[in-house]
Amino acid sequence: MQTTYLQAVGAALQEEMRRDDKVLIFGEDVAEFGNIFGVTRGMLEEFGPQRVRNTSISETAIIGTALGAAVTGLRPVAELMYADFTMVAFSEIFHCVAKWRFMHGEAYKVPLVIRCAMGSSFGAGAEHSNCVESLFMHAPGLTIISPTTPYDAKGLLKSAIRSDNPVLFCEHKQLYQTKGEVPDGDYTIPIGVADVKRPGTDVTVVAVGLMVRRALEAAELLQKEGISVEVIDPRTLVPFDKETVFQSLRKTHHVVVAEESNKTAGIGAELAAMIQEEMYDELDGPIGRVAALDIPIPYNIALEKYVIPDAGRIAEAVRAQLARNC
Amino acid sequence: MQYTAEFLKGVYRDLLSVRLFEEKQVEIYALGKVPGHIHSGIGEEATYAGVLATRKPGDYFKITHRPVGASRILGTPLETMFGELMGRSTGNARGLGGVLHMVSRENGMVGFSGTLGCDIAVADGAALSIQMAGTDNVSYVFYGDGTSSRGPVHEAMNLAAIWKLPVLFICNNNQFAISTAASYGVPVANPGADRAAAYGMPARTADATDALAVYDAAKELVDGIRAGSGPAVLDCKCYRWRGHFEGDQAKYRDPAVTEEWRKKDCVAIMEARLQEWNVLTAEEIQRIRDEINSEMDQAIAFAEASPEPTVEDLYRNLYAD
Repeated sequence: MQTTYLQAVGAALQEEMRRDDKVLIFGEDVAEFGNIFGVTRGMLEEFGPQRVRNTSISETAIIGTALGAAVTGLRPVAELMYADFTMVAFSEIFHCVAKWRFMHGEAYKVPLVIRCAMGSSFGAGAEHSNCVESLFMHAPGLTIISPTTPYDAKGLLKSAIRSDNPVLFCEHKQLYQTKGEVPDGDYTIPIGVADVKRPGTDVTVVAVGLMVRRALEAAELLQKEGISVEVIDPRTLVPFDKETVFQSLRKTHHVVVAEESNKTAGIGAELAAMIQEEMYDELDGPIGRVAALDIPIPYNIALEKYVIPDAGRIAEAVRAQLARNC
Repeated sequence: MQYTAEFLKGVYRDLLSVRLFEEKQVEIYALGKVPGHIHSGIGEEATYAGVLATRKPGDYFKITHRPVGASRILGTPLETMFGELMGRSTGNARGLGGVLHMVSRENGMVGFSGTLGCDIAVADGAALSIQMAGTDNVSYVFYGDGTSSRGPVHEAMNLAAIWKLPVLFICNNNQFAISTAASYGVPVANPGADRAAAYGMPARTADATDALAVYDAAKELVDGIRAGSGPAVLDCKCYRWRGHFEGDQAKYRDPAVTEEWRKKDCVAIMEARLQEWNVLTAEEIQRIRDEINSEMDQAIAFAEASPEPTVEDLYRNLYAD
């Protein structure tokens, strides 16, 4: 049935909480209010105040508590509201959550999920619009998931909750109201498996988050020009499904990486370096990068739109790839 | 005498186990057998021996970087501790975690962090598990006067208070944050207890040169927590005998004051009292010391004979299967 991304996230939480009484959720405004976007609406009524808890505005305590709960046998889903607030608890995530098992040994399991709403959303400004995946790709020990469809969001959140490793689960704010087909009942999507969102033969676009939709729009435009674009959604940034990208490159020999965060030291920088290290012989041109300008996200809507890549900018990068064919 | 002989012997053995571990640590560090830095906790053992005498099965523990020998009280095998301390594959983290992570999960230890303060809320999480299970267990969390001013400590206290979590916050006030005296860095006399009122928590202070005084104060708070009254704070005042790390000459403080505190040695105080109360004789005390030292020497020999971790070990615990 047709479901919104927001409903799909909520359904995953609800079904996992019904399935396993070790699962609980806590964070700012998740109980009566049902989270600021409405993701956890109705959860308090169904699962009660023991398993659905508001916290104070205390991001470091939310993460630390999730870690302690996970180590002692619960499966907490901690919510940080905005992805931007992961930075408030950066040390707790980077040093503690990610490294806990490494530092303490195999007797320590950290089955926790950190949910956050990320990305630009029409004038949210410099501190409520960031995409944070690339910051945490630098933290070995974490799993990082960034789903782009309702189907992926539900299946991957279920896998995240069942995982024995800490997961950073990034939900894009602009995707919450998008709709897609989601089957009734239980299904999971394996962590670390990319999805080809559109097959093509001329250029591969690896797009993350909101950029998947924009890459699909770009592919539509380019088809009219006779250019066939393959759009790959990694879905999981860590672990990254290299094989799906490599298979595509063996066919297209051209790649563009599209992301919403700042260009410098971003996801594109990492993927471009990795691809040229491991697939250099397959490349018929330099690797293209499309990313936000290296500037804080501006409040002014027109300038926000300018800073973040749109379908036109992705299409431009694809054309440039083919023009540089060597 | 309000304590049983068995109880007193137990507290003494815990106290001494930590002291001798801390001394041994310094000794083998000087011999170059330990990588990195160590932070000797000599003089601070009574906080742990006293507080932990109130524990029972099912409780959880978050210790801190000083004294790491407290892990021994909780039952971490010496082979594991020295294996980890010396960076060998027989350590709990195969020698990849190190001195700040010598723990045993099976004894209720939740782990601890070298980024002091970031791990305080881990005790809240353990307490949440206790609360969900509905038992009368307690989550014990130790931190120092230096850490007491960090934001995450206060966030953890605040959350524990609003959720009425069964947490005992124990501030081990050794009076120094590296070179910065608590009298400068903390605006109140008792870094833990004086801030408890802000969270509506009961608090006690204890003279942590006396393990039994610490026990009495902790017992009162722990009894309340087990009865369901929510979190509490215990402030234990002692003195850091040595520098922050080995090699720190501690020139920032008055040696005469250090000398005064050394005279209030928590181990010597306990030994005198046990002899006075006819619980242990001088010979028995010596036998216990010899026993613990010999166990440690065997564990060190075991660690030295243990293989170094391999490159494969690097990746083994990064993720669970």
